Amino acid sequence: MKIYAPDGRIGVPPKPRAPSPAVLTGLRVAVLDNGKPNARLLLTRAAEQLAARTGAVVELVTDKGPGHNAATACSDLVLDRITEEVDLVLTGSAD
Amino acid sequence: MSTDVLEIADDSPEAVLALYETRGWGDGLPMVPPTPARVDAALAALGDVDPDEVIATLPPRLGEATRRVIAVNAVLAGCPPACLPVLVSAVRALARPEVNLRGVNATTHPVAPLLIVSGEIAEQAGYNGGLGAFGPGNRPNATTGRALRLVLMHVAGAVPGPGDASTQGGPAKYAYCVAEHLAATPWEGLAPGLASAVTIHCGEAPHNFHDMESGDPGRILDKCASAMASLGQNNVVIAQGEYLVALGPEHAATIASAGWTTRDVASYLFERARLPATEIRANFTSIAWPPWMHAVPDGELMPMTGSPDNIKVFVCGGAGKHSSVIPSWGMTKSVTVPVES
Repeated sequence: MKIYAPDGRIGVPPKPRAPSPAVLTGLRVAVLDNGKPNARLLLTRAAEQLAARTGAVVELVTDKGPGHNAATACSDLVLDRITEEVDLVLTGSAD
Repeated sequence: MSTDVLEIADDSPEAVLALYETRGWGDGLPMVPPTPARVDAALAALGDVDPDEVIATLPPRLGEATRRVIAVNAVLAGCPPACLPVLVSAVRALARPEVNLRGVNATTHPVAPLLIVSGEIAEQAGYNGGLGAFGPGNRPNATTGRALRLVLMHVAGAVPGPGDASTQGGPAKYAYCVAEHLAATPWEGLAPGLASAVTIHCGEAPHNFHDMESGDPGRILDKCASAMASLGQNNVVIAQGEYLVALGPEHAATIASAGWTTRDVASYLFERARLPATEIRANFTSIAWPPWMHAVPDGELMPMTGSPDNIKVFVCGGAGKHSSVIPSWGMTKSVTVPVES
């Protein structure tokens, strides 16, 4: 006999992810602290290592803006600054 | 048609459970086989609508919740067809951006969407907003709540591990549905102007508070404020966090008879549910407050949320002097939508 599957199709993401750059040399890197404990320390160290190995430059270290945290997007102000000042962003840290 | 059909040896609950388990589906409890006949019967309760229209795309899996897929999960949960309009509307509500469903599903917090049914549909379909409303024994409450959880697991991908990181999980993640007890509500309720509505509030399980003695609103609500003012709740460091106060009918009657509105209740709780700012700052470095809360000096008391607007009130339950408060996960807002007729 027949029954239905319960999961349905997977939809299309609302926005595609930007492609990763092939070469990091000379690119400007931002650290976006998502507010999780030690995120800034961990991500900044990772960015510094990345810069040392590839010739990228750590240009900006910022949080997401007042009232924003790991569960939300960053503020428009911070997003505008990132868009203007850097080429790639390191973010994401969990509990 | 957007829904896959599977072959199964027989339609026993054991066979369905075994098949579903191999695919990582189900909540661990027995399920009703979603045969085409049962699903069609459920869909019939929605009237002449497109069963394959996408109602919502639910993160993190980005699964498409069509009416048919929702009906499949309703059948699995044992949901009566009359509850389908509530369930479809609840899924529509979950997809509203202010709910922040991706975060609700993926967080380590034990948050679960509470579904509150208001108005005519609650009576017509037999939902319980009276005695034991949050507890077992009522099929529409139990199965609609369970069906919503199954939609989250199957369609949204909120499966413990890959899509639900909740550290301990929680019983509210099995089934979390009540009706608003409008007949015992001295105010206008959660959905004024709507004949039938659903409200989604993503929060913890209810925290009980009791007051068997007071005839004074302030003394009753001080117990609620005490339950709200906890260092362990997400809201202590998230200004936009909401509290849903579920007043028992007797507490609601006492409070309303003194001339208090729900706004008065919210304003009082905003003033009374506070912790020392020094204590909060000493305990947390990750704080999502607006600038005015950061400016509250050490030694002063800090409210548990950024505005009285974040404190919502409704009535449910039966006889007795118990009420409850449901802290939200924090980065989410409750929504009320009309029930799709």
